[in-house]
Amino acid sequence: MSVFSRLYTTSSLLIVATMASHMALAQPASRIVTVGGSVTEIVYALDQQDRIIARDTTSSYPDQVAKLPDIGYARALSPEGVLSVAPDLIIAIEGAGPPETIDVLQSAQVGFVSVPEVFTADGIVAKIRTVGAAVDQVQAAEVLVTQVASELTEAQNAAQKAANGDPKKVLFILSTQGGRIMAGGTNTAADGIIHMAGGINAVTAFDGYKPLTDEAVTIAAPDVILMMDRGGDHGAAAKELLAMPALIPTPAAQNGKVVRMNGLHLLGFGPRTASAITELSQALYGETN
Amino acid sequence: MSLTIEMPKRGSLPVDRRVQARQLTVILVALLAATSVLSLAWGASGTSLWGALVDLAAGRELSRLDSIVLFDIRLPRLCLGILVGASLAVSGAVMQGLFRNPLADPGIVGVSAGAGLAAISAIVLGAFLPPAIRDLTGNYLVPVSAFFGGWGSTLILYRVSTRRGQTSVATMLLAGIALGALAGALSGILVYMADDNQLRDLTFWGMGSLAGATWTKVLAATPIVLAALAVAPFIARGLNGLALGEAAAGHTGISVQRVKNISILSVAAATGAAVAVAGGIGFIGIVVPHLLRLATGPDHHSLLPNAALLGASLLLAADMIARTVIAPAELPIGIVTAVLGAPVFLWILLKRHGAMGL
Amino acid sequence: MQAFDIEVVLGKSQVLNGVNFTAKPGEVTAIVGPNGSGKTTLLRAMTGEIPYSGKVLLNNKNVAGLKPWQLAALRGVQPQSTTIAFPFTVLEIVRLGLTAGLSAAEKELPLRALEKVGLTGFGNRMYQDLSGGEQQRVQLARVLTQIWRPVVDGAPRWLILDEPVASLDIGHQFTVMDLTRDFSARGGGVVAVMHDLNLTAMFADKVVLMDAGHIAAQGSPQSVLTDANLAQTYGCPLPVCTTPHDGTPFLLPQARHARVT
Repeated sequence: MSVFSRLYTTSSLLIVATMASHMALAQPASRIVTVGGSVTEIVYALDQQDRIIARDTTSSYPDQVAKLPDIGYARALSPEGVLSVAPDLIIAIEGAGPPETIDVLQSAQVGFVSVPEVFTADGIVAKIRTVGAAVDQVQAAEVLVTQVASELTEAQNAAQKAANGDPKKVLFILSTQGGRIMAGGTNTAADGIIHMAGGINAVTAFDGYKPLTDEAVTIAAPDVILMMDRGGDHGAAAKELLAMPALIPTPAAQNGKVVRMNGLHLLGFGPRTASAITELSQALYGETN
Repeated sequence: MSLTIEMPKRGSLPVDRRVQARQLTVILVALLAATSVLSLAWGASGTSLWGALVDLAAGRELSRLDSIVLFDIRLPRLCLGILVGASLAVSGAVMQGLFRNPLADPGIVGVSAGAGLAAISAIVLGAFLPPAIRDLTGNYLVPVSAFFGGWGSTLILYRVSTRRGQTSVATMLLAGIALGALAGALSGILVYMADDNQLRDLTFWGMGSLAGATWTKVLAATPIVLAALAVAPFIARGLNGLALGEAAAGHTGISVQRVKNISILSVAAATGAAVAVAGGIGFIGIVVPHLLRLATGPDHHSLLPNAALLGASLLLAADMIARTVIAPAELPIGIVTAVLGAPVFLWILLKRHGAMGL
Repeated sequence: MQAFDIEVVLGKSQVLNGVNFTAKPGEVTAIVGPNGSGKTTLLRAMTGEIPYSGKVLLNNKNVAGLKPWQLAALRGVQPQSTTIAFPFTVLEIVRLGLTAGLSAAEKELPLRALEKVGLTGFGNRMYQDLSGGEQQRVQLARVLTQIWRPVVDGAPRWLILDEPVASLDIGHQFTVMDLTRDFSARGGGVVAVMHDLNLTAMFADKVVLMDAGHIAAQGSPQSVLTDANLAQTYGCPLPVCTTPHDGTPFLLPQARHARVT
């Protein structure tokens, strides 16, 4: 991450925290819209779910979230759609928008808190603090922070131990649409979780999710392939995947190592990330004591 | 360029289609009024137009929420919908007249390609711009870029296809395809550079939406669109004459080059503005003129104003669907116009096919 | 109407080499010649449809300096064939000959023009449904609407026709040629590219015979349509006779390989 974005994140954190505390002083919000899967999870973890009246499309955990109205995709929110659920506070993951919608919401005196997204343990802690301040649960948030941070440390330590100085190379595949492998590079949630789980990302040549040429896949020589779980027959899907010419020579294909995990659990960077680390670490290195 | 020739059934023709067209204008004005009122009255939130009107009539103040929903969300959105719908439909009709082809659309003069490339550049590269420029445009970097991108590519195309003061429509068509391919390739490079969020933004931009309607956008687009639409009466006779072919049109006293200049520039302005504020919205520019030609014939004196009215009404109707069908979320309007427009268009073609026994 | 030193180069070939052409008001001037002799090219150059070098005068004014609407007030041009891009009715096409700001009486011109070309009652038919010959007459009606009066303010107007009878039956060929005589008799000028030499002989006051990009002969039908001129330009024997009552020339072509009867 560049120095600038780091600075930006820090300053926006401060601003958001200030805003949130001011609002908290005014009156606690009772009709909250959460935007972003991890944001929704944190509000649930703080036991404030009764105050959530609507959520965005990416919020799918826990299951009862599905009963709430869906205000659409986080970056294409409709102003009247959001207003129609009569919220008094919107807590949204960084990048929610468009800006025109946010402007209208703010002019309608709906509180708006942006939650920065950084794919590290500290990033999760910061998220919890921001959300906690926004829902006026600073103390509960600190309790949750302590718990989550220790879980994360523990999970990461266990993962490091399991790796035993010999980290596995993990290739995160977002999709294989049309035989093209979309892989997760640096600065992605996938990259973050792979490192936390004691692995190393097989792709470091680019930022974000991009198609990887077949030869680069072969050269990357991943030990394990990591994918999101989209349901269906895993056995057959894995067979088909590993039969792709680019993957055949890789150690992952030779050992049949394909790991599938729930997308939001794996990449959400919320309260459940410690369990995701443990799950991934076990999938990579097998059960350890 | 191949021409699709449309032949309504014999014997079913009225004495004078001009009278019919004027009657249709009255109907379309009423339709636009009705859709306008409906779009003000209809929305995801519970705000009631009638309730608000009653309150206002009684001298009561509106609640803050109602006033924001009516005056900062629905009203600018209504205005933007009218501007965009009218622009797209009239631009389509003008392009079809100029290119003598009922399938021409403003994309032919490079507006869409240029605007699309500029919008993608703004989304992906906007962060690298000097802060002075970013401060100047604020949230409106994408629309401002799209507008100038659309104009820029049209001017390039116009330059390429104009020799000794004569613009070759055929050259423009070919150069437009080349420029479109180039813009597509450059867009592809930018798409590759884009991160996940930017990709999502690009996708949504391409599907069009009136959701970002603000008074700023309305105020910026209004003079451009009105200026572009105001020239329509002056090119109607020229576009009619062009149906005879360029040479014959010239012999009836039409300054063909002037008609071309005005048409191309006004279409670039109107479509550029529409695309800039609402993204990519398809089918209005093809379906509306086509329907009107079926109804009252191809005379541009009535076709252009009627296209403005019908285009505006249809876009408002599509927007009402877009913003209520999955409320509180909303669909991109380009999806609605394509999902409704494409089958209607196919149905018209099939029906006519049968009637002609071809 | 005069044209001086008209040269036209299409691609790499010179199609017209220095043609000087004159037509007088009150006359029907026919341009004839074999295929590729440059007669349509000459007409298109004089109407400004293709680039040319030289000078074209209309009523002693250089056409290069006139605006399209000024030219349209002086001359009407009927194209050889016209496809229409959109489903216009016959009347809508003829109305394209009208200019803005006409009196109520003048707005009746399209119907009267249709009557003149024998298409009364065709006004609401779709142009595209008509036969080729009917379409050609609709175009003539449109041009007539544009220059209805052959003389305006003492200045003649010009009717310029490219093969006006090409796809007409013989009855309508006479209708159209009679119209040209009527137009010239009332003081207007007519310039027509013609294929049919017999019709030309009957209706033209002046004949311009083109051959390979230049004028081979010009003058009265009697002086131009001679055995020698025609055999040389058309490359086949075309014996010319004259009608007994008024001496109008007519052609009686003979087949080289005649049927034996």
